[in-house]
Amino acid sequence: MKRLLASFKKAAILSITAITMSTSAFAVSIHEGGDAAKGEQLFKANCASCHKITDEVLAAPGLKGIADRWKGKDELLVKWVQNPNAAIATGDAYVKGLIAQYAANFGVMPGQAVTKEDINHIMTYVASGASAGGGAGAQAASADQCITLEDLEKLEPEDLEEGQDIYLVNQDKGGSSAFIWIVIIALILLVIGISGANISRSLKNAQAESESEEDHRSYLQMAKDWMWKNKKFVSVMGLFLFCYFFVVGYGTLMDIGVYEGYNPEQPIWFSHAAHVCKNEIDCQYCHSSAAKSKHAGIPSVNVCMNCHKGIKNGAVTKETEIAKIYEAIGFDPKTGQYRTDVEKKPIVWNKVHNLPDHVYFNHSQHVTVGKIDCRQCHGPVDLYTTGRQATTAQINAMIKDPNYKGITSGVNGQPVASTLIELTKPTLTMGWCIECHNKSKVDLASNDYYVEMHERYKSTEAGRRALRGLLQENINEEREASSWGKMPDTLAPSLSVKGLGGWECGKCHY
Amino acid sequence: MKRPLLFTLSVFAATMGIVSCGVDPNSPGVEYMPDMYRSPAVEAYVDYGSSKHLDWTQSQKDEAGVKPILARIPAAGSVAYMGQDAIFGMPYALPNDTSGYSRAAKEIHSPLLSSKENIEKGIVLFNRFCQHCHGKEGHGDGKISQNGHIAGIPDYATKLKDLEEGKIYHTLQYGKGLMGSHASQMSQKERWQVIEYVKCLQKGITSPEFDSKGMLKMPVASADADSTKKI
Repeated sequence: MKRLLASFKKAAILSITAITMSTSAFAVSIHEGGDAAKGEQLFKANCASCHKITDEVLAAPGLKGIADRWKGKDELLVKWVQNPNAAIATGDAYVKGLIAQYAANFGVMPGQAVTKEDINHIMTYVASGASAGGGAGAQAASADQCITLEDLEKLEPEDLEEGQDIYLVNQDKGGSSAFIWIVIIALILLVIGISGANISRSLKNAQAESESEEDHRSYLQMAKDWMWKNKKFVSVMGLFLFCYFFVVGYGTLMDIGVYEGYNPEQPIWFSHAAHVCKNEIDCQYCHSSAAKSKHAGIPSVNVCMNCHKGIKNGAVTKETEIAKIYEAIGFDPKTGQYRTDVEKKPIVWNKVHNLPDHVYFNHSQHVTVGKIDCRQCHGPVDLYTTGRQATTAQINAMIKDPNYKGITSGVNGQPVASTLIELTKPTLTMGWCIECHNKSKVDLASNDYYVEMHERYKSTEAGRRALRGLLQENINEEREASSWGKMPDTLAPSLSVKGLGGWECGKCHY
Repeated sequence: MKRPLLFTLSVFAATMGIVSCGVDPNSPGVEYMPDMYRSPAVEAYVDYGSSKHLDWTQSQKDEAGVKPILARIPAAGSVAYMGQDAIFGMPYALPNDTSGYSRAAKEIHSPLLSSKENIEKGIVLFNRFCQHCHGKEGHGDGKISQNGHIAGIPDYATKLKDLEEGKIYHTLQYGKGLMGSHASQMSQKERWQVIEYVKCLQKGITSPEFDSKGMLKMPVASADADSTKKI
């Protein structure tokens, strides 16, 4: 009986092996036997924009486990990849399920120009489960070149590379107050010392006199008497205090309304350096209304999602900060779909640049008409993390720094120093505005806005008269500036914004 | 003599108090006329929802339904005033689904000429809105791709060589795959201007040249059939 059973078992095992062997010999599955390296290349070129090889849904289902899901349907899989509509037409239940689940959100996959062998390579690569690779290495390579102001602040002065320290000048208002503290403490110690000496001397004097006599004077009278007694000391100290308060008070008053270097916390730790310097995104991709409206605009979350639908893991803060975008718009990074069951919450950013009510400032006038580089007013934004109000020192540093890399294209792709103007007054003050309006030159001939305006002026007699006056005025100005009485070499007027009325009160004030 | 000392010390304490103001990074500094900076008139990007009720707790705000006034989506059906460009102000007719995408190929055509003006504006807009992913010459090799954030961005000159302009417009309107909708960033005219340049890239022209009339010089001469209708 035992032997019979054993032989039966043997036979069963043999037959099973035979069956498996025969199937593998007849048809090798499309998910194995290909060249994984070739598959990786093909995958990146054809599939990676929507699929991941993990189970994460990007803009289409993740491919992990595809060998099990499409088991025994190799022909259909090839058809599906090459011509999805033909695969749908076969009426396969699994394909129908795919369409029902994903087509509404992501659409139907377009047919891919790959051969059956290519698909074999790709599926081998997917089955091997090798990480997408390449990304991390490339990221690290470019990361080093993009340093932020916060990084610079953390460095010791001797570790700073040549020329980097100029970005840190005057950017922290707290820096100067340390010196004030030292002065105050020194003064207190001095006063305590002198008073102590005075007290001990007075005590000695008092001991010599009668001790029974009580002091009935008021505190004020006592202070007056003391001051009268120590006339010299009090007058020197008084003079010193007066000068000190005058200087400190003047400094404080001059600081009112000056918000240079203001860098408030934001609900999301957004890194301008990562976006602008590392990934070379133009300022106006996100701040797109700067070209068209009064406000530069903080991008709405849908603009963030244009990239972050796919980029779920940042280089610096990993997932934590990007998750806040998803929470705001109600996006589920696991399924790659927007949720309908949660309420969208707007991100409440803190306003950094604030002008008083009576000031009119228009971004489009400066960006579109004036063709002014964003950095002229906002400084080296590619060194910032969260938005901050640039200091004049930083803007000037950028102009002086020969190694400054600059944001993507700049204005017409010119180097920074040639397009920016060096200024002296603190940013976002009126002095700063009118200083720039005085120094900046307007290129009338190559600017559509002024060409059109010029044509309009030329068409009327009054306009022509105004133009002649303007020309004469500029010639006079230039003649005065160059040398007395001598005609300038060129008659081409170099108009400043001031010459076009940039100093008129009504231009910038309501 | 101890009391005068106290007086001197208190003067210095007062000085310290004055000087120590204002190193909080979340405070912009002393404002000259606070009501000029925090005005009751509505200004952009000021959170009136909370700043008008500074002393309220969150639960009080929730109860009263106080919400921050921030960027909102325009009311459904609103049409932008476009002035002379009125034809660019019409809403997009096709639905955001696969049938709309395939219909766009036949039904949506560029209202713009392939002129110097349009293409040069398109280049500026392309560098602003597209190049960080699609690359400066449209090969899908922008910095975001090079840094490994988004892979497999197709090349205009090869894979998307024959993509119809209507489908490109449809994609800009609604997004496709990983690419999001760019309708909030670009006006309809700007979208068509970008497409005029993308059409050059599809033909492999990275630095377009123009003839004496300001029209794009084609590598192979092909007359624009309905150029009379375009602007």
